[in-house]
Amino acid sequence: MSKTKNLFRRALLEAVDDGLLTLGESGRKAIYFHLQSLYSLKREDIPEHLEAFVESLRKIFGLGAEVIEKAVIKSLYNKLGLKYEEKENVSFLAYLKEAEQNAEREG
Amino acid sequence: MHLLNSLQSKIQGITHLLTIYKASLILMVGLALIYTFQGYYPEFIWFFSNAFPPVIAGAAVVSAGLSLEKYWYKVRERFSMVWLCFTFGLIFWFVGEAVWMGYTLVWGVEIPYPSVADAFWLVGYVPFFIALYFYVKIFGSALSKKTLAISIAATAILSLLISITLITPILGAEEDLLTLIVDFAYPLLDIALFSVSLLGLLIFLNGKLGKSWMLINAGILSDVAADILFSYTTAQGIYYTGHLLELLYHFGYLSFLLAFYVHTKEL
Repeated sequence: MSKTKNLFRRALLEAVDDGLLTLGESGRKAIYFHLQSLYSLKREDIPEHLEAFVESLRKIFGLGAEVIEKAVIKSLYNKLGLKYEEKENVSFLAYLKEAEQNAEREG
Repeated sequence: MHLLNSLQSKIQGITHLLTIYKASLILMVGLALIYTFQGYYPEFIWFFSNAFPPVIAGAAVVSAGLSLEKYWYKVRERFSMVWLCFTFGLIFWFVGEAVWMGYTLVWGVEIPYPSVADAFWLVGYVPFFIALYFYVKIFGSALSKKTLAISIAATAILSLLISITLITPILGAEEDLLTLIVDFAYPLLDIALFSVSLLGLLIFLNGKLGKSWMLINAGILSDVAADILFSYTTAQGIYYTGHLLELLYHFGYLSFLLAFYVHTKEL
């Protein structure tokens, strides 16, 4: 894995940690526990299974998942030194892709 | 292996919840039968009507307390506060029920209205409202204008329904000011809870947490119906111990008990 990709992966994992803090420390622990026990998704595997991560959040929180997704994106953009701008009809995965491309370009 | 474990875990979870739902349904049917055939055992229904509320409210407190234990981290954290407030709200309601039981079964005195029990019940609304508000506020930005409009419309319809049902009989009952305030306080506070809990339901409806929010809403609506009927029957002088409307209060506590339990299972 290239250095840039590795840095992006680490930033993403930290951003997921921050985003899940929307529900506080205990809520974050509970979400990680459920992701692993019900969806076989470990924290470390999230960057490689982003669609499964988003799907699991929506299965748990319904519309509320958007709030957690947005918190993850904001934290990720902040960690990568990118400017976050809210756009209509842009999905969580599209934001991530854009962030990854920007990080690669600048890295 | 991981997939097999997660499948087993899912099946166990579903089976466990189904057992809990079945037990609750049996309890509801049992309660309905006890109240329906009360003519055959008037002394028992008088005792039951006074003794059962603290039991079911106490069970709801235990359920909320277990949720608090699971989600508690620190006072400054909003999600921890949510569960602390839910638990405190239910503790106040439980004390209200216990005081009511004290009046009837322990001290054997005629219950004044409003009484100390009313004070505890009314105070209990405050932490319960804060809990709902904090929870919904965390996810508030997920609400669209359409969702908000649905919630406002539903709350307005409920308010109208309550006003139509209660204003004439209560104002016509020539009660003193304090009694009038308490008569209206319950339904008004119920509306306040409903307006926020409905938003929660709309946010989480399509997720696993939707089940818990559906039960919270069912509990609040049960209380709305019970409080309207209680205020109406009291104002008309037709309320008696063991009235069928008490079932709605029992179902309300049962719904809250289930809501908190389901929440800990789904998250």
